[in-house]
Amino acid sequence: MSSAGTSAGIETASDDWRVGVDIGGTFTDVVLWREGSENLVQVKLLTTPDDPSRAVLDGVGQALDRAGINARQLTSVVHGTTLVANALIERKGVTTGLITTAGFRDVLEIGREWRYDLFNLDIEMPTPLVPRRLCLEIDERVDANGAVDTPLNLDQLPALIKAFRAAEVRSIGVCLLHAYLNPAHEQAIGAALAEAMPDVTISLSSDVSPEMGEYERTSTTVANAYVHPLFRDYVERLVAALDQLGYARELLLVLSDGRGIAADVAVKYPIRLVQSGPAAGAEAARLFGELAKQNDILCFDMGGTTAKACLIHDGEPERTVNFEVARETRFAEGSGLPLLIPAIDMIEIGAGGGSIARVDQRGLLQVGPHSAGADPGPACYGAGNEHPTVTDCDLLLGYLDENAFLGGKMVLDREAATKAVQTHLADPLGISAIEAAWGVHETVTANMAQAATIHAIERGLDATRFAMLPIGGAGPVHACSMAQKMNITRLVCPAGAGVASAIGMLAAAVSFEIGRAAPSPIATLDFAKAAGLLRDMASEAAAMVSSAGANEGEVTETFSAMMRYLGQGYEIEVPVTLAMIEAEDSEALLENFANSYRDRYGRSEAMPAELLSWRLAVTGQRSTLGETLGKRTDGPTEAPVAKGKRPVWFGDSFVDTPVYKRADISKGSEIEGPAIIEEVESTLVLPTGFNLHVDDAMNLILDATS
Amino acid sequence: MSKSELNAVRLGLIWRRLDGIVDQVAETFLRAAFSVVVRDNYDMAFSLFDSQGRQLTQSKRSIPSFLGTLPRTLEAVLEKFPVDKLSPGDVIISNNAWIGTGHLNDISMVHPIFRGDKLVAFAASTAHTVDIGGAPSPTAKDCYEEGLCIPICKIVVAGEDNTTVMDFLTENLRQPDETLGDVRAQFAAYRDCNTKLMLLLDEEGLDDLIPVADEIIARSEQSMRAAIAALPDGTYSDGFDIDGVDVPLRIECQVTIAGDELTVDFAGTSPQVPWPINSVLNYTQAYARYAVKCLVDPDAPNNAGSLAPVHIKAPVGSLLNATPPAPVWGRHLSGHYVPPAIIGAMAPIMADKVVAESGSPLWNVYFAGRYDDGDKKNGTGNYVKMFFMNGGHGARSKGDGPGCLSFPSNVSNQPIEAFEHQVPMLVREKSFIPDSGGTGKYRGGNAQRLVFEARSENPITMTIRHERISYPARGLLGGAPGRAGIDQINGQTIPAKSRSELKSGDQVVFETPGGGGLYPPEERDDALINHDLESGLTTTDASREAYGHE
Repeated sequence: MSSAGTSAGIETASDDWRVGVDIGGTFTDVVLWREGSENLVQVKLLTTPDDPSRAVLDGVGQALDRAGINARQLTSVVHGTTLVANALIERKGVTTGLITTAGFRDVLEIGREWRYDLFNLDIEMPTPLVPRRLCLEIDERVDANGAVDTPLNLDQLPALIKAFRAAEVRSIGVCLLHAYLNPAHEQAIGAALAEAMPDVTISLSSDVSPEMGEYERTSTTVANAYVHPLFRDYVERLVAALDQLGYARELLLVLSDGRGIAADVAVKYPIRLVQSGPAAGAEAARLFGELAKQNDILCFDMGGTTAKACLIHDGEPERTVNFEVARETRFAEGSGLPLLIPAIDMIEIGAGGGSIARVDQRGLLQVGPHSAGADPGPACYGAGNEHPTVTDCDLLLGYLDENAFLGGKMVLDREAATKAVQTHLADPLGISAIEAAWGVHETVTANMAQAATIHAIERGLDATRFAMLPIGGAGPVHACSMAQKMNITRLVCPAGAGVASAIGMLAAAVSFEIGRAAPSPIATLDFAKAAGLLRDMASEAAAMVSSAGANEGEVTETFSAMMRYLGQGYEIEVPVTLAMIEAEDSEALLENFANSYRDRYGRSEAMPAELLSWRLAVTGQRSTLGETLGKRTDGPTEAPVAKGKRPVWFGDSFVDTPVYKRADISKGSEIEGPAIIEEVESTLVLPTGFNLHVDDAMNLILDATS
Repeated sequence: MSKSELNAVRLGLIWRRLDGIVDQVAETFLRAAFSVVVRDNYDMAFSLFDSQGRQLTQSKRSIPSFLGTLPRTLEAVLEKFPVDKLSPGDVIISNNAWIGTGHLNDISMVHPIFRGDKLVAFAASTAHTVDIGGAPSPTAKDCYEEGLCIPICKIVVAGEDNTTVMDFLTENLRQPDETLGDVRAQFAAYRDCNTKLMLLLDEEGLDDLIPVADEIIARSEQSMRAAIAALPDGTYSDGFDIDGVDVPLRIECQVTIAGDELTVDFAGTSPQVPWPINSVLNYTQAYARYAVKCLVDPDAPNNAGSLAPVHIKAPVGSLLNATPPAPVWGRHLSGHYVPPAIIGAMAPIMADKVVAESGSPLWNVYFAGRYDDGDKKNGTGNYVKMFFMNGGHGARSKGDGPGCLSFPSNVSNQPIEAFEHQVPMLVREKSFIPDSGGTGKYRGGNAQRLVFEARSENPITMTIRHERISYPARGLLGGAPGRAGIDQINGQTIPAKSRSELKSGDQVVFETPGGGGLYPPEERDDALINHDLESGLTTTDASREAYGHE
């Protein structure tokens, strides 16, 4: 498949043109697709950190030009971004204030009073996003039953506003005790603030994350507030620019759980987008895994800045309830900011292509965590960075072609890469530059293999039974080496791996999840009231997804109940139906609970159960991208012919290795390693010991031969 | 790459996977737990041992002392039930203070893990139960008053619950659903541990853990020995007074370094007392080894190997090696002084690694009573709940002590919102106390002030046992002490070890102790001083007095 391919002439193609746009730390990816067509127009360009919308417009413009259409013909633009995550990690959000119940201003800094490392006396606790001087209190109190104990004293608000103004606060989070049960005081403060400070964005905990637990809820609320104006301004700029291009419809954004939602809803809850792009990558992996008939997929996403792993088990991405960002200590759970948001369980397993390699004080090779990012980027980008990166090493090893990077749009500077590796790695270690480059490659893949194996093991899953699906620009370069180290014997390499997140956005359905706290023992549950609540939730959620373009008839509703045994503190998700609740069938509800409990804990208890909250996921119809890509008819039919050969290092020596263009590889053809397969946005390295064949969906299926 | 290097790589991978398994299994326990004290305060530990009973690894969420006491618990279990008396699916339980964590409120359990017929490992865990029956009180005169002692026995026999043991517990506990709910949650965790461990052994083609354990233990021991050998030989000592109950008591500590071995001796410490603040040797040893590990070799793993070159002694019949029937309910009130004593002794030779004293022994409070609406909330209508509150952490060698961070224990707080669902009280305040950290180049962490208001027609029985009212956390190497603690009801100071009845509307104030400072205050950086003034953690007057800062 050619990245510049157009979809003209395909009979089944409709007039629905869709665009997926993913902004990463290094690259911005754009994919344009005409519903029903097998061809995707793909564009990869450097992210423009000063104003990310510039690269978006540039990329969308290029894609439209290639397809020969204009923006008015687009039916949807779906977007994911790392903006929110980066603002939190780099602490580049706005000056933020917090209003708490009187007596509780220190909730953020006190945290959970727990040391995440038992033996290290010098651990750093996360610095709160709101400094103590801007954590202000107001008299009010709601009790544990949701009843008002102390009425809200709004007379105190002007003094708070004055303090916030003096500190030039641009965003305010409000988190009051028990507001998840009774949001009235938060709402009254929100309304008063909106009137008095119209330029300031306001995040109420009862909106952002109506869950019990004041520290985690406050943390989530202030994180939302901290990025709120940045995100709103960014989306506004983007919408305006798309508007200028002629795009008249709603902009859709991808949430951390892979769902897509209208921009006007998303801008209220930017924290839900903290893992926006990577979640779309997991959606793409699910799609391609399905096409390759692989239900258990280890999605390995390596971009310019980080590498991430996500397990797709039985066709569903694993999900998490313990989400954390901006950890003080890499990989140390408990050292970051907790967020109560629905998210796909994805862990950072290592460095990206732009990560800098160095020799540490023990004389050992270390890669990352510092990254050269998009600007200046790796030494071979020739933009002023002198330190060797993973990409520089891949170039020296022959994995990348300096003249074919991004389809030849960017010429890499081999001399600069060699100099960086020689000066900073080879000389201090007393080895040759190629040995140093190999050492970096091995270190990076071994670290990632170990982290990914542990990630799987920690979830009770055996990674060796999974097929690896590499995505991201640097994923296919490192995948085989990593799979070997994990004893993974099959890889699925989809076309467009380098822009997979953007493809995932085209595959994702419009969807939104909402929750309502409704604590009650099952024995005394008011089913009639509950049924009413569920129906209200359904109409609210339906309105959200239909504003995002989903047709009413295509919307599916999935209800669940968060339940536990009376006295427990953590609940599990239990499938329910509206009919079950309307029929007041407590037996069926309890049976579903016991089944879900046994699935998780291997046993159930003879104890009374209780309900904490109802959840509803409303989902529009999935796009037909998967179906279309599954029955590809395009592509060449001849046996593949190498476009040439180049010396490639596989550990001992340079091997003269055939280089194929992916576009030349036909369905059903087979290639034996060693080989290099080049696509515009990524390069697949196929070492000896792997054979490749092409399936009906044009996925390259790699099997280990030994 | 040579073969031995390859082995090192594989060992490293297996090692980290064992760590990962234990963390995941602990998480299963926490999520299924019924008590706040386990799931929110993390007052628990989960550890894995090889078939010879050697400790290999433990969960990150662990109470440090529990990790150190579990090896002895397992040893005692094996004395009573040798390997040939164990079957797959067995779970052995006990809360005996002398072989356990030093008081009856921690229930330990051991689960042998078999692969086919072959014993390959032990999973062991300890969890706090707020109620263990009996009448534990600050005036208990012997350990029999302090609750039910569960002898070493099988609570699950080859996969079947032992109903006799279950019935004994149910009849003797005030909140059997909660305590036995936690016990059953650990059964779920053991099952999880079995599955995951078998997967690892199968995948790695291992018959058992012994070769891996040999390597792990040998390498950890080597690491600890090398770290001790790097310290100058000699004997270093520290001693200080502590509050006690009726009269102040004395902790004395000598640390002797000889080659690659380190010995801690608490000779000179006060004799045991007829108050429930005595520590058993197992608990003393656990905290002593923990302190040595933190100071000397924090980065290496913690297991049987890293403990081998460290020897702990305390005089029989002393506060730190009490003999039965001494009351031991509040054994942390002496045991938590063990780490600061060792750190204080070693400060002269480890000035760049030490930490000043923290606002501990850990503060907590018990609230007990009957719900106004009877048994609607739980089966019996009774409640006995604990609330933990940490003081300021001591200043560290690289920066200020964090406010309200647990040390030497690692007990988390619990959400106020969760607490108020369980106890008929309102928490009116939980906030930092300005100026409560000791001054120094690096200042101690701030303490916290908590205000509770009783909201129940039925009376609430409140029990406290707090330290550092008379003797605050010391500063170290020129740093100043932190602020002492305060306990009040309706504005009146109450004894730090006492029981009170609260009626609706009564207000209780607790102010935990602040952390000590480190190095002389004159060396403090202006930027840090300004930062504290801006945040309000230090007031202008206090800053002027300590640092001469205007």
